[in-house]
Amino acid sequence: MFDPVVLSRVRHLHLTARILTDSLMMGEHRSRRIGQAVEFADYQEYMPGMDLRHLDWRVLARTDKLVVKRFVTETELPCTVVLDLSGDLGTGDTGKSTLPDLKGSKTGTAITLAATLLYFLERHGEPIGLEIVAGQGVRHTSYRPHSGQNQLRALFLTLASVRAGGVADLSKALIRAGQATRRRSFVTVVSDGMEEPKSWLPALGAFARRGADLTFVHLYDRAEWGLAFSEPAVLFSPEGGEGIAVDPVGARATFEEVARDYVNEVKAGVVRFGGRYLQTPTDGPLEDVLRKIIARSSE
Amino acid sequence: MSLAFLAPQAALLGLFIGLPVLAHLAKQVPRTRREFGAMLLLQRVVKRLRRRRRVKDLPLLLLRVAMIACIAAAAMGPQLSWPGGTPKFGGSGRVVFVIDRSLSMGLSDGGSTLLARARDEASTRLRTLPEGTLVGVVTFADHATRLSPSLTADTARLADRLATIEPSFGRSNLRDGLLEARRMLGGEKGEVVVFSDEAGPGTIAAATNEIRLLVESGSAVVPVPIFADPPRNIAVLSATYGDGDEGGLLSLRVGSYGPNPVEAACEVTLPDGQVIPVFADVPAAGEVAERLTVPPEAQGGVGKAWCEDKDLTADDTRYFHLPRVGASRVLVIDGDPGDSPTKSEVYFLERALAPWGGIRGGIRPDVSTPVGLQALDPEQHSVVFLANVADPRAAGPALVDFVRRGGSVVIGMGDNVTADRYDESLGPILPAQLRKTRDLADPAEAGIALVLPDTTHPLFAPFLRGGRGAFTKVRAHRVMTVDPYEDSEDVTTLLRWEGGVPALIERKVGSGRVLLWTSTFDLGWTNLPLQSAYMPLVQRMVAYLGAETGGGEGRLDAIVDEVVGVPLPDLAMDPTVVGPDGTPFRSHLEGSQLLFTPDRPGAYTITVPDAPALAYVAVNTAPTESDVRRFEGLAAVEQELVPELFRVRVDLSAWLLAAALLFAVLQALVALARPEPELIGAGEAT
Repeated sequence: MFDPVVLSRVRHLHLTARILTDSLMMGEHRSRRIGQAVEFADYQEYMPGMDLRHLDWRVLARTDKLVVKRFVTETELPCTVVLDLSGDLGTGDTGKSTLPDLKGSKTGTAITLAATLLYFLERHGEPIGLEIVAGQGVRHTSYRPHSGQNQLRALFLTLASVRAGGVADLSKALIRAGQATRRRSFVTVVSDGMEEPKSWLPALGAFARRGADLTFVHLYDRAEWGLAFSEPAVLFSPEGGEGIAVDPVGARATFEEVARDYVNEVKAGVVRFGGRYLQTPTDGPLEDVLRKIIARSSE
Repeated sequence: MSLAFLAPQAALLGLFIGLPVLAHLAKQVPRTRREFGAMLLLQRVVKRLRRRRRVKDLPLLLLRVAMIACIAAAAMGPQLSWPGGTPKFGGSGRVVFVIDRSLSMGLSDGGSTLLARARDEASTRLRTLPEGTLVGVVTFADHATRLSPSLTADTARLADRLATIEPSFGRSNLRDGLLEARRMLGGEKGEVVVFSDEAGPGTIAAATNEIRLLVESGSAVVPVPIFADPPRNIAVLSATYGDGDEGGLLSLRVGSYGPNPVEAACEVTLPDGQVIPVFADVPAAGEVAERLTVPPEAQGGVGKAWCEDKDLTADDTRYFHLPRVGASRVLVIDGDPGDSPTKSEVYFLERALAPWGGIRGGIRPDVSTPVGLQALDPEQHSVVFLANVADPRAAGPALVDFVRRGGSVVIGMGDNVTADRYDESLGPILPAQLRKTRDLADPAEAGIALVLPDTTHPLFAPFLRGGRGAFTKVRAHRVMTVDPYEDSEDVTTLLRWEGGVPALIERKVGSGRVLLWTSTFDLGWTNLPLQSAYMPLVQRMVAYLGAETGGGEGRLDAIVDEVVGVPLPDLAMDPTVVGPDGTPFRSHLEGSQLLFTPDRPGAYTITVPDAPALAYVAVNTAPTESDVRRFEGLAAVEQELVPELFRVRVDLSAWLLAAALLFAVLQALVALARPEPELIGAGEAT
């Protein structure tokens, strides 16, 4: 028996995913798959672990730069969504997600985003998989990419069932996911990144080494990052640890400085390890984020 | 049983107990709790704010460190010192006040004299001394005097005695003052407080050794300089009579010790009361010489030169000797005007009596023929020389009367002299009756020499220093012999020729005297005029017989507070010292001298009954004392000896404790304004 809330979430996810996907596919005539094929697509800077066969020797001879060629593929593209559902994702008030019981939270936005992306990819016939980091309430947190409606349903059910919780160890999770990722996959990491960047950013290299096309979706709650409350309060993490008494008025400016520095640090790290960086507030339009993911454009 | 607090003001420290309470209340943690998903960022905020706070709280840290440092430093009892202080007094319980009452302390400044200010200052300090302090007071000018025989705790009595200190005309003998103070301290430690104007060159330098002895004994010399600012004084530094074309010249030296040039109005008063005004343009801190002519005829005695000065009047007058000018007291009767200089007694006598024309010595002998004896005026002449006068009979009574009234006669022989006529007319006054001429040797030969004179006689006393032997070179080949006589109280043989023939015989007649020279005053019978003894012998005769000579023991200069010794020609005299005010002044005899110590400037006269004045003494203040400028400070000298006595010392303990209190308050205020960072962001908005 499924929890009615879960069922409601499944329906909700399906509906939202379909609407968003329709919106995304409006006017599209051709499926542009990203991967290995004969039709040249673009250049990418060489990263350790990439296939040396695609190294462009002419460019190397001319410019002394290591670049690899990318091609439009006509074959299947394994797609994996790595979803961070640690305890901190459970907070937030300004998220647009309308999932029951997750309204306003970062969890709701993250799940909606993941479900829509999976739905879109499945509609394009791509094998889809899911790796959940932390979280609770589900038996399986790791799904290898497979095609078909059953896979989609299983993933939707998991997404509808999972709750934010626990403590994430992004580094280990990303390394594990990277190692499990099939070569030349399409990987999207959805996370708030609330661990010391130096500890987990290098783990992104695992995806690069597998030749994966990595997008890091950095979720944040605009109200949290703006310390949008007026009275002093003791703030504490759902993941545990001691609370910190904060006077929001006095600390706001410094907090914003720190947040800016932090974003820049994460962004630089993601790019350095071969990924694209997308900063995503929970109250922003998901279509834009999805479009950027699919178009493989970065900020 | 009682409870007392040594430092009750420390209760104020209790106020600081409230400060941490207030700080604690201000730092209370909020009660609201919120889940927050960006703790990582918040932790970074905490770190960043702490870093900033460390910088912002540096002043707080410094304040607290300063507070503790001040307390620690105060506990060490630090002292700050720098040059420029004065030694403290009263600490040893033995204090001697040394008060300068020399002439320069009579300087008026601000309506009172420096001495009055010194007295007031001493009285004030006397009152502020701790109870039980042993005090002594010494005053000094030329000499030091104690106001109390020893140190005493009776300060009230000393205060009364301070008021009796009178100004003196004497010099600043600081050395004596300090010596007396050291004696009062009896070699033990104490403080010597010196109230002085420290004026005059050499005053302090002369006392340097005494200062050293005092500080070496552990005592401190505490200078209390009392001086006029700026110092100023006009004084007559000297007045001297000298040569001149008409009469004589009086040279004045007028000094000014003020900052500005002045035109000093001066007056010179001669002994006969004549007043000569003089204006002296004196440069700033300098002196000027003025010369004025004394009238052709002026009475001898002590005159005075005075310059107007409102600041220090005690040295405005300077007394000087003035010999009788223009009118001689010596009459030479020429009984044998010769046809050549060598055959003229007057020629030789004139040059012996007035070798410089009669101005400097004050002797301008009147020369006359025997007829001039008819108008013999005892008021005008005191000594008469009869030089080879043939017949004195016409003037005999006048001469006898002249001698009996105090006049003196010197009789010289010669070929014109007839013994009978002299014996007949001048018998009552002759030392011995003349008999006849006697040839002692052939005129072509050297003649008979004089024997050495007795220098104990006042007539020959000056020859004790030299020249006595010259008398043996005086030779005569002819003399006037006299009837036998005996030396007595009235008749004395002063000189003899070899073989015993009298050469110079004196006879006292009342207050007058007669000297009989048995040879000639020219080269007729003797070589005396060509000998070096001639002139001084003639001069001494005149001086001995009481006429004006302008020099010798008869005129003395002296300084106030210095002992004056007047040689007495005759111990049988009963001399009296008459002071400037005309009253007898205390004196005493010591050996052959009359001693007295004048205590004020002026003309002092040594008189004997029924005789002319024995001597005049012009007493003046010391010119150096008129220089009221400070040349060297007592403090400077002592500072060289004991520099540590002249350091200003400030005990910083109290100041450091006050500073610690201030830092405590400041740090509390700062801590209140910036509470501890338990509430992140608190206080950051400001």
